[in-house]
Amino acid sequence: MVDIAIWTAVFFTLGIYSILYRENPWFRIAESCYLGVAVGYAVGQDLKYIRDQWGGQWSSSAGMMLLFAIVMIIGIFWYARFNKEYFYLYRWPLALVVGTGIGAALRTVIFSQFLAQITSQANTPFFVAGDMVGTINNILIQIMVPSVLLYFWFTGEIRESAPMKVVEKIARYTMMAGFGSAYGYTVLTRYSLFIGRAQFLLGIPPNPADSRMAFIVIAFVMLATMIGYDMFMKKE
Amino acid sequence: MSVWQKINKLDRRYTYLLAWIFVLFPLLNPLGLPIPISPDAHAWYDYVENEINDGDVVLFTPMYGVSGMPELFPMTVATMKHLLTKDVQIVVVSFWNQGPLVFNTLLTQVDPADYGYVYGEDWIRLGYIPGSETAMGSFAANIHTTVSADYVEGRSLDSFPMMADIQQGEDIDVIVSIETGTPGTPEWMRQFNAPFGTPQITGCIGVSVSGMIPYLQSGQLQALMPGLTVSAEYEILLNKPGLAVAGVDAVSTSHVYVTLLVIVGNLAYFMTREDN
Amino acid sequence: MSDVLRRIEIPIALTIIATLLQVIPYYFEIPALESAANTASNGVLLIVACATFVGVISIIQVHGKRIQRQSEGWYYSLLVIGLSVIMALTGLPFPEAGLGVNNSIYNWLFINVQTPLGGTMYSIIAFFITSAAFRAFRARNLEASIILVAGTIMVMGNAPLLTNYFPFIADVSLWIRSVPNLATMRGVMIGGALGSIALAVRTLMGIERGYLRGGGEE
Repeated sequence: MVDIAIWTAVFFTLGIYSILYRENPWFRIAESCYLGVAVGYAVGQDLKYIRDQWGGQWSSSAGMMLLFAIVMIIGIFWYARFNKEYFYLYRWPLALVVGTGIGAALRTVIFSQFLAQITSQANTPFFVAGDMVGTINNILIQIMVPSVLLYFWFTGEIRESAPMKVVEKIARYTMMAGFGSAYGYTVLTRYSLFIGRAQFLLGIPPNPADSRMAFIVIAFVMLATMIGYDMFMKKE
Repeated sequence: MSVWQKINKLDRRYTYLLAWIFVLFPLLNPLGLPIPISPDAHAWYDYVENEINDGDVVLFTPMYGVSGMPELFPMTVATMKHLLTKDVQIVVVSFWNQGPLVFNTLLTQVDPADYGYVYGEDWIRLGYIPGSETAMGSFAANIHTTVSADYVEGRSLDSFPMMADIQQGEDIDVIVSIETGTPGTPEWMRQFNAPFGTPQITGCIGVSVSGMIPYLQSGQLQALMPGLTVSAEYEILLNKPGLAVAGVDAVSTSHVYVTLLVIVGNLAYFMTREDN
Repeated sequence: MSDVLRRIEIPIALTIIATLLQVIPYYFEIPALESAANTASNGVLLIVACATFVGVISIIQVHGKRIQRQSEGWYYSLLVIGLSVIMALTGLPFPEAGLGVNNSIYNWLFINVQTPLGGTMYSIIAFFITSAAFRAFRARNLEASIILVAGTIMVMGNAPLLTNYFPFIADVSLWIRSVPNLATMRGVMIGGALGSIALAVRTLMGIERGYLRGGGEE
């Protein structure tokens, strides 16, 4: 008995992976479905939130109901972006959203991303008793962090000065090592995602065992059609 | 054409094919490679085990969608299982629109009732709140006005006794955030850690790890779980091997493969540099 | 009247008011303002949720034109529009009519279409990274060599096979993460914080208007 759900999931998984061979209709089908479902999915979650909110504080009094109506009208202004004549209305909800977002971030960014980091940097001791490696690491941190900061802050002619040339070198080498670290973790992430999909394709528990057969059949069909088509075109 | 020139001109599809082989082989034939436990896994385990106390209010937030599931789902399941062995109050919320459905998938593998947790008394789901950081700020200011009803039964939060003492961000004792991007830890830091000093542990994809290290070093983050490998180590510490352990052999072989490619590619480059 | 409503100063003023409404109550204890700020931010969450159909309409516009003109690959556009409309309709919040987030079609499409596609779409980058590691990751000069060596050590450090038999690899990769990476990211974070404050101040002063562009006007 073929489980349509599993075969569908395997089909779409392999449809995406088929791009590794070359651009092909299987990939275009999968890509189109992804776009369609992704765009439509958010509608359910967003509208549920609006409905639940209406059931709460927004229907608790006449004043709140009026406010809710005003908010909904402003929310409808988003769709003015599709009309050239009324496009200016689209900027109003956008301005409110952007302004609120900036305000929410602005009020504490100075603490979480600035003061806390500077405090931590200042509290990093140059010398750690009984720990030579820790001491060297802390000294390196105390040299590297200001170098990176100065590298970003001071640009232009001042970079030509002798001290800034040294700072620039330290900063660049530090950042290259840092980006290398980022690369290493990027490889981990991408392969972890691939391994997760591979576990599904192979039917490794708790994934359904039926997906292995679906994987073999669908992979064979896709490869056969793509390679067969290429061979046919080569002959022509 | 020399061997090195041939290697330089190798069709990239052969590298893709080898990647498939290096991943599929250990999944089909588990190698049983040993898994050393890293300090990250110990830190995460120790924090959940020793620092989260009975009676604490834990904000459990799956902040990711299906794109991050392969890497983050194992750690989400393992952490949830660990939390359920304690006597805490768990509030589940997400600021990613796929978060609720990710949690639905978790519930097919972990049933809080099996651990004696009663919905509405010991744990509650608040669903998805749109608005990213603004939503998080609003949630911190007043939970009951930001979320009018729970996600499962659609009842007012005021009707749940456990929510009587959970009104705002101050009432949260610890945040467990499993995340893949924005909104994520920087937003949590701005909306919860800065105003309330709320402790937080974060599980994230590898790509995000580099940006988390300053928070970890400054003490704003109490523990960090960086990706699938450490998830596997955590599963071993918990004595509950799952998807992460099943996949870690493939992580090893694939990473050895990438390392070999870098070495061979550079050798080919240097050997053919003068010819070019 | 509509000329007045079109003025760019209105959205700029709205931005400023919305920003100050979030910032001032945080630093000053003014109960009325705090209550207004809370209601305002709850209202903004609803405004954000109201934008949910923008994506669907944009998709229908773009792909509808392709179908109309029968451009290359127009039949794929049928799939895009069809599925987005089905998801949007089945997700409508009318549980009494069997629609909403618990609708069986909505959930089936999410679990069997969205989940595999979403997980797979980002995983193919693994192959491109692999190809790049082989073809592009070259030690051409000192800086490239540093990034190459650091990156390769980090890759090895994430492989339990190697860290189990060569523990020093794990130590070195942890050092790279905890020292040069920390320095880089801390510097970026502090600089970024200052940059975001500067951008916010520019927005508050009405100098930064990039987010208001479009529509063929200023």
